[in-house]
Amino acid sequence: MTHTVMTFLAKVKPEKRDALRALLAEIGDKPEDNAYIPFRKLALLHFASLVLHESQPDYGFYLIFENNFDGALAPYLDDLYRQAADGLHQIYSSCQDYTVTNAGDRAGMLSYLKAHVVLPNAYHIGNTGRGAQRILQERDLKNTLETAADKLVEVGQPRAPRELLDALRNPLRTDPKFAWIPGAGPRQNFMEKAIPWAKFVLAAVLSVLTLPIWFIPAVVGLLVLRYKESTDSIQLNAANSDRVRSLVQQEDHTQSVGNHMASITIVKEGWLRRFALRTVLWAVNLYVRSTQTHGVLSGIPSIHFAHWSMIDGGRRLLFLSNFDGSWENYLDDFIDKAAVGLTGVWSNTVGFPRTQWLVFGGARDGPRFKAVARDSQVVTNAWYSAYRDVTVQGIDNSSSLREDIYSPLDTRAAEACLQRL
Amino acid sequence: MELQRNDIQGLIVSSYKHLPCAAFVMLRVKDAAASRTWLRQRAPEITTSEGKHPEFSTNLAFTWNGLKNLGLKQEVLGTFSRPFQEGMATDHRSRILGDRDENAPDKWDWGGAANPVDALLLIYAKDENVLKTQLQKRQQELAANGGLSSLAILEAGRQPDSHEHFGFNDGIGQPAMEGTGNKAKQLKRTNHATELPAGEFLLGFNNVYGVISPSPTVAATDDPQNLLQVVPPDSTGLQAIAGMHDLGRNGSYLVFRQLAQDVAKFWNFLDQATHDANGASNEKARDQLGAKFVGRWKSGAPLVLSPEGDNPGLANENNFAYLQKDAHGFACPVGSHIRRSNPRDSLGPDSATALNSANRHRIIRRGRSYGHRIQNPMVDDGAKRGLHFICLNSDIERQFEFTQQTWINNPVFGGLDGEVDPLVGNLAKGDCLFTVQGEPLRTRVHNLSRFVTVKGGSYFFLPGISALKYLANL
Repeated sequence: MTHTVMTFLAKVKPEKRDALRALLAEIGDKPEDNAYIPFRKLALLHFASLVLHESQPDYGFYLIFENNFDGALAPYLDDLYRQAADGLHQIYSSCQDYTVTNAGDRAGMLSYLKAHVVLPNAYHIGNTGRGAQRILQERDLKNTLETAADKLVEVGQPRAPRELLDALRNPLRTDPKFAWIPGAGPRQNFMEKAIPWAKFVLAAVLSVLTLPIWFIPAVVGLLVLRYKESTDSIQLNAANSDRVRSLVQQEDHTQSVGNHMASITIVKEGWLRRFALRTVLWAVNLYVRSTQTHGVLSGIPSIHFAHWSMIDGGRRLLFLSNFDGSWENYLDDFIDKAAVGLTGVWSNTVGFPRTQWLVFGGARDGPRFKAVARDSQVVTNAWYSAYRDVTVQGIDNSSSLREDIYSPLDTRAAEACLQRL
Repeated sequence: MELQRNDIQGLIVSSYKHLPCAAFVMLRVKDAAASRTWLRQRAPEITTSEGKHPEFSTNLAFTWNGLKNLGLKQEVLGTFSRPFQEGMATDHRSRILGDRDENAPDKWDWGGAANPVDALLLIYAKDENVLKTQLQKRQQELAANGGLSSLAILEAGRQPDSHEHFGFNDGIGQPAMEGTGNKAKQLKRTNHATELPAGEFLLGFNNVYGVISPSPTVAATDDPQNLLQVVPPDSTGLQAIAGMHDLGRNGSYLVFRQLAQDVAKFWNFLDQATHDANGASNEKARDQLGAKFVGRWKSGAPLVLSPEGDNPGLANENNFAYLQKDAHGFACPVGSHIRRSNPRDSLGPDSATALNSANRHRIIRRGRSYGHRIQNPMVDDGAKRGLHFICLNSDIERQFEFTQQTWINNPVFGGLDGEVDPLVGNLAKGDCLFTVQGEPLRTRVHNLSRFVTVKGGSYFFLPGISALKYLANL
């Protein structure tokens, strides 16, 4: 199955800003079942966030409504309207060019929302092909097996791996709660796997074929960028303490193993930078969509959904990420494992640590990179996760467990299956 | 690289093993001018890392509030790292350090909002008599000066050996700081040494990223006597602004946490968890589970190298890794204390990458046990004992706090699902687990509770000697 990764982006009326902030705080307090958007009822939804972006007033105030869900936009929008029409109406009444006068105007509201969709230039999905409900079912399966395994251990009789596995899986076959297991399909079907690869290969072939056309302009462009990056200003000071304090207030809450990060950076002046960033994101997306489909993005094992979107005609870069673990760990992974990719992207934005040739240097200056990242990050007013207590790797593990559980396994495979507990 | 040893406090380079008796005096500033007078008089007596002092050593550190109360200007105070400025007892920090419920700062004996600390005087002595003499002398000086009052005196007396109170050999693995010569000593003692750049522990030096670790600075005009070194024009790194005077240079951030240990609770829990079917204690199984919690046997022998039983021959052995020998945790559980507090190469994706990442979060440990060793670990004698945990680092967020949050208290550390460090993790209410990986099936130990309670804590700045003089002459 496939996912849609997108945001609704709308400009907020300045006079409605405070009221909207207060409303979002109510949602943030109870994301699962608040009065505006009861996210828990949206069965297709994985992660959502609402951010009132106020810190770069030159561009106005933005409401960023992030949605990462199963399937295409239309059915999700239908469901969103069905569950949250009144709430959405109240929220978007604070936004410019919203002319719908009552929540009953389904067509008006849907067309407003569709008109404000921003699809990312590049995105990453940790658990490719797993629907939200499937993830919850597989979590349930894993927990059931863990408890059953505890009982087997308590009894204390040593058994061969295959006998042990049988003792664990046989009760599932008659349990109506797990009747879904035999019918669960693969993570991705053939076309879902093949299409991103086809795009990737096609782009590579076309790039090579058109090399004579773009090679010289690209070299000239790179040399210009090389000159620019040696003179661009960089951040000198530590991150603004007040900002960081407001950010950490929302981080690392119990009952949740993950965090959310929203940031908007200003793209450096000039069309060349915008073009460079657009090109890098295009290439990153082709690469990530085809090759990074097994829970890891360039060595980083903890990202559920991340998106990069160029907004305001390419003048700003919006980044949204739903990740496992602490902010420090997330940023360290970026520095240690994915410095080239992330430097290639953010070196085109203001304040980034000094780079060489777009992708070298940059994020490797750890303390400065973190300071820039904190300064561009904004408070997430409300954040929802359909599965706060599981990680990307945990989800993958449970999927593998489900995939293997009914297979007629030999001893070695049975051992491997038991090690998933 | 040549260190300016006469400007670096001794504790950074040495654990003072030859001085087994210690006392930590928590001070409050009552009068700024008088405190500075006291500091001016005492600064020359602070032990540096030059030479070895056979009788006693004295070191001195300040909290951010302490520096403020001494009279340091706001714009200088603002150049210290954010965790140091805010202190250990904030809401967010309590969440990530696990300081909730019984561990919460409002229950602390010192360092909480109700009983904040300004300065920490660390006294180390070769025996009880020298310690007593030194402590009396210091107290008389403080009384005569009147600028500071002592909030608490935490003693850490002589211990029979290097084992902590639960009974396990402690303090084996330590990163060696470049320029100290500690690498050779560490290698000789433990067969292994990880040398890290001085900037991991000293402010104002290159760190693991090859840039200068962020250091507090003062404007040239605020240092008319030129007591502090000038930041050179070719400096790299955040905040390393040429021409400013470096207040942090040769100093370090010192983390202090008082951790009370309930030894009888710990061993009785292990005993219960390993009872034979007929309800009788199984001493061997009990010791084995204890070792699984820790990752080393009582002697210190690592489970990775000696999975079946203790081996005193490996008591100080530190030359091992996880990924090749024990990727699944069959010998040393993934969630064991030593594997969480330094995962070495175990977090993948490959050995080199994992080791490189883990080494960005190392701390130098300088803790001391306090209280008497328990007679019978199964019987609570009501006495207070524990560990005065002390560590040094240049970036509290990236080193100490990271270790606590991402390793010790992380419920999904290394692929685990819903458990924390069995010794020092935030064992909250409810069914706390510990998984012992095994073949063909893991065992989960249920219903762990807190064996270690936080009794106090603060973040300190351990200044270089010239910075101490600067503070004395504010």
